[in-house]
Amino acid sequence: MYNKNEIIHKGNIVQAVVVADEFEDKFIPITNEVPMSLLPLLNKPLLDYTLEFLYLGGVEETFLFCCSQVDMIKEYIRKSIEASAAWSLNMKIHILVSESCRSFGDCLRDLDAKGLLRGDFILLEPGVVSNINLRPILKKHKEVVKKDKGAVITIVYQKAGVGQIGRSAEDDIVVAVDHNNRVLYHKKTRLLEDKRIKLPVEIFLLSDEVSMLHNLKDAHIAVCSSSVLPIFSDNFDFQTRDDFIKGLLMNEEIMGSTIYLHLIRGSQYGGAVTNWQNYQAVSWELKDRWAYPLVPSLKENNLLKDNVIGNGTIVPHDANISRCVIGNNVVLGKNINLEDSFIMSNCKLEDNVTINLSVIGNSCTIRKGSKIIENTVLGNGVNIDQNTILKNQLIQATKPDFCEKEDILGQYAFRLKPDEDEDEILQKLPRLHNMKESIETSDDGFSDSDDENLSYTQSPVLDDTKLFFTEVIDSLTRGFEDDLQCDNLILEINSSRYAYNISVKEVNFNVIKAILHMYLRQPTGQRYFSQLLSYFSPILKNYIRNESAMQDCLQAIEDVAITNEELKENWIVFILNWFYNENYLSEESISNWGRNLDQSAKFSVQVKPFLKWLEEADEEE
Amino acid sequence: MSLQAEFQVIIMAGGKGSRMPEITSGKPKCLLPVGQKPLIWFPLNNLHLCGFTECIIVVLDNQKHEVQSTVDKFNLGIKAEYFSIPSNEDLGTADSLRLLHDKLHSDVLVLPCDLITNTDLNSALDIFRTHNATITSLFMKPQQPDAVLVPGPKPKHKPERDLVGIDVQTSRLVFLASLSDFETDVSIPLGLMKKHPHIKMYSTLVDSHVYVMRNWVIGYLKNEEKISTLKGEFLPHIVRKQLAKVPQKVEEANASIVDSHHSDDIFSFAKEDDMKLLVREMSAFNDHAGDSNPTYHGDCIRCFAHITDADEFGVRVNTLPVYCSVNNKIIENWSKIVPNEPLVLKNPKADIKSTQVDDKCVIWEGAKLKEKTSFKESIIGSGVEVNSFSRVFNTILMKNVVVKERVALENCIVSDGAIIGTGTQLKSCLVGSHYNVPDQSQHCNEVLTDVAQLMEF
Repeated sequence: MYNKNEIIHKGNIVQAVVVADEFEDKFIPITNEVPMSLLPLLNKPLLDYTLEFLYLGGVEETFLFCCSQVDMIKEYIRKSIEASAAWSLNMKIHILVSESCRSFGDCLRDLDAKGLLRGDFILLEPGVVSNINLRPILKKHKEVVKKDKGAVITIVYQKAGVGQIGRSAEDDIVVAVDHNNRVLYHKKTRLLEDKRIKLPVEIFLLSDEVSMLHNLKDAHIAVCSSSVLPIFSDNFDFQTRDDFIKGLLMNEEIMGSTIYLHLIRGSQYGGAVTNWQNYQAVSWELKDRWAYPLVPSLKENNLLKDNVIGNGTIVPHDANISRCVIGNNVVLGKNINLEDSFIMSNCKLEDNVTINLSVIGNSCTIRKGSKIIENTVLGNGVNIDQNTILKNQLIQATKPDFCEKEDILGQYAFRLKPDEDEDEILQKLPRLHNMKESIETSDDGFSDSDDENLSYTQSPVLDDTKLFFTEVIDSLTRGFEDDLQCDNLILEINSSRYAYNISVKEVNFNVIKAILHMYLRQPTGQRYFSQLLSYFSPILKNYIRNESAMQDCLQAIEDVAITNEELKENWIVFILNWFYNENYLSEESISNWGRNLDQSAKFSVQVKPFLKWLEEADEEE
Repeated sequence: MSLQAEFQVIIMAGGKGSRMPEITSGKPKCLLPVGQKPLIWFPLNNLHLCGFTECIIVVLDNQKHEVQSTVDKFNLGIKAEYFSIPSNEDLGTADSLRLLHDKLHSDVLVLPCDLITNTDLNSALDIFRTHNATITSLFMKPQQPDAVLVPGPKPKHKPERDLVGIDVQTSRLVFLASLSDFETDVSIPLGLMKKHPHIKMYSTLVDSHVYVMRNWVIGYLKNEEKISTLKGEFLPHIVRKQLAKVPQKVEEANASIVDSHHSDDIFSFAKEDDMKLLVREMSAFNDHAGDSNPTYHGDCIRCFAHITDADEFGVRVNTLPVYCSVNNKIIENWSKIVPNEPLVLKNPKADIKSTQVDDKCVIWEGAKLKEKTSFKESIIGSGVEVNSFSRVFNTILMKNVVVKERVALENCIVSDGAIIGTGTQLKSCLVGSHYNVPDQSQHCNEVLTDVAQLMEF
């Protein structure tokens, strides 16, 4: 008897599609000369890792979809096959070229038109580095399709804790799945409004158990049924895989298509180079053998402490290098300082060069004493003059079409200025991590507004004046912490004032009270207090304008002093003195107010010496 | 020095049974018959199986006598203390705890009187102990729905459903709200996901209303007089408080000012012992993996949840459909739910002359079943009298019901002391307590009760 399975298997060879280009120029200027898939990752082209992964994962035929610099990729593949790279032995590679494609979606539409794929296939977004065994996922996808005819795609995620460096902020995601791992909700957190996840209530009505996952890292791998490509063709507005997922989730009834999630755990690794931050993370994870058997080749690299150094590069003894990847044949001068940086092949770094958190392209020359820091990226062949300091810039060797004089840094160095609308993208571009510093301690979330929501049982409903008061305190605290212009604070206070319809008298009273309250919240010390008051002096000036405002101010001081009995006695004298010396309060107003005080109260006893002093000073004059 | 108990147990039996007024208008809910026992016997037996020997039962003052006289006969080895609350005020469970405040010195285990389950309460207690929890609650997997015929008119109320979010890794209860509170979207702060990156949201779990609480919670409730119920108000409140930032401590000199300012803040109650915090900090134990945050994320308020296994039995008898269904199931599940006491179908003190009693009937003591009567799948309460030529199918007859001759009852619930007149035929009806059904009546899907009692609707 012959093995039936084998025959079926031969009829269905495992196919994969790799889209080799990202369309967002995230790696410019380096990708101006080299396609992204040939970007060196630990001194080996990125594509090499992807293909080896596919081969190890059990793929027999791969379609490589290229849109730009196709010749270089073709040449590379040809050479690799000649050199009989491991993946070339058992896996067929077809290079598909379509230079008209402008997005991931375009590529898939083009692929659909070509009609090369028959059954289920593996779809990779650009830059995948992984060691996942794909066969079991394919099998699982087939089982799911048997149960749910609408299942068209299984997306693969790796479990990764919040704050892992491999998780880039761009891909940070929240997914909700039911007990069959069917995706019910899928949203990138950077697209969330006011940092709240809004799930349609039907999700919970329809399934008993919904898992909400945020411990995910996108592996950029998916198993697709053959119907995925036609769906892309029918919906020409789908540009990315995310558009596709979003479209299916929103119009599930119309299309009847469902999405499933596959979570990989344990020793399997899924990563992708999609931006410089990921590039750095994947480099380190590869070096640390997370993606075993994909490891940096020891034939081509030397490991030196926490650095990876290419062949032909000699590291001088006085060089100070940490957490860097350096390419082949790089010439290093004396007394060089490199930290958290990537230096590609054939570069020349002269004496006393400092590079920090930056990427240097192939064949760059950096002259003596230059400093390249904070996410600067140099394209291939850039020459940097002596003692130049570059901070957070993109530099390329050729002159861009529009170039102002100030952007010319040398014969082979031009500052790349992003277009206006691209500016935002560039600012958001995830950057290299400073590995020494602890990773972001972002403050997400449990905002005060949350707290307000909770407060239904906490305190009586605040009246408008109280609300106004708390708002003023908030504005002032923030202003003081962030060192904002007092004029802006005044504007804010005034707008709150109109929002709550507060009288002038109350405004004066509350603003002074708020400032004094801030003092109470802060560490003590009169020096500090004078600082605080001086900082707010434009505000004080703005509100304490006339006699009646002075009375309001005194009222506020009295109010604060009486309600906080623990204050030291000299506090009140100090305050009055300060206001008096700075000419916010006139002598007359203070003595008027002093006369009306209840003489027996403890408070007035405290004030007495000051009033007395004031009178005496008056007489002396 | 007397030894202080680890937990003080409180059974909440002061509810009015407002979800099923038809059968609770003349009778404390906790005394409704289920199988061969009154309802409250089941949680007490559960406590007994867990080894508790004392409890406080909260009752309405006008029902105290009736409840006490029944419970004292149980002989479960549990010393019950009764605490009555005024029946004329509508007091919630949190209100009851507030009134009990003086008596509570230990951590507290609160049980409802209407819980029938075979879950080991120790599982919830152990989570509470392990994590030094603030509050632990017990959720039950829903029972398989059964097609049970509910007497009376079609129910108007939709069943209440909660949305319960539990951190898969740590069993922390991180989200709790009523599903009916949401119109279109359920909004969850991203911060919650960052803290608990894998949350399972359940929409069909049944809250058992079993809560294990730290003693300070009672003190907090004492202070927060606006909180009336544990389930509806307090629990969602404290679950959300887990996310709130702890107000920063202020320097010594001003500490007293701030204290007076925040004295009613929940965090001033929740403050943990410095030594315990130090131990936690120095210990290698962490409740979660995946990020580098400290154990419990440094929260001093920690809510946990335990979910019963799917094969465990657990219901709360608080609506008519549940009451009917549990009476259907109780006989076959008896040995599972009550492993310590045999099922007695026919009480030896009952006077049974009928020859047609099937083995799905439970007959209580003192019932008189005359000759030529027929019974199927019914519960016949104590002191019930059923006269000749009557048949009782799938029906619950409570205490001292009198069924005259030639009566046919099918799928009915008849409350205490009702009299069913001669020749009456009732199908799927609810008969209120002490109601006289006139002779020769015929009713179907109705509620038969005095007008005065209907007021409660």
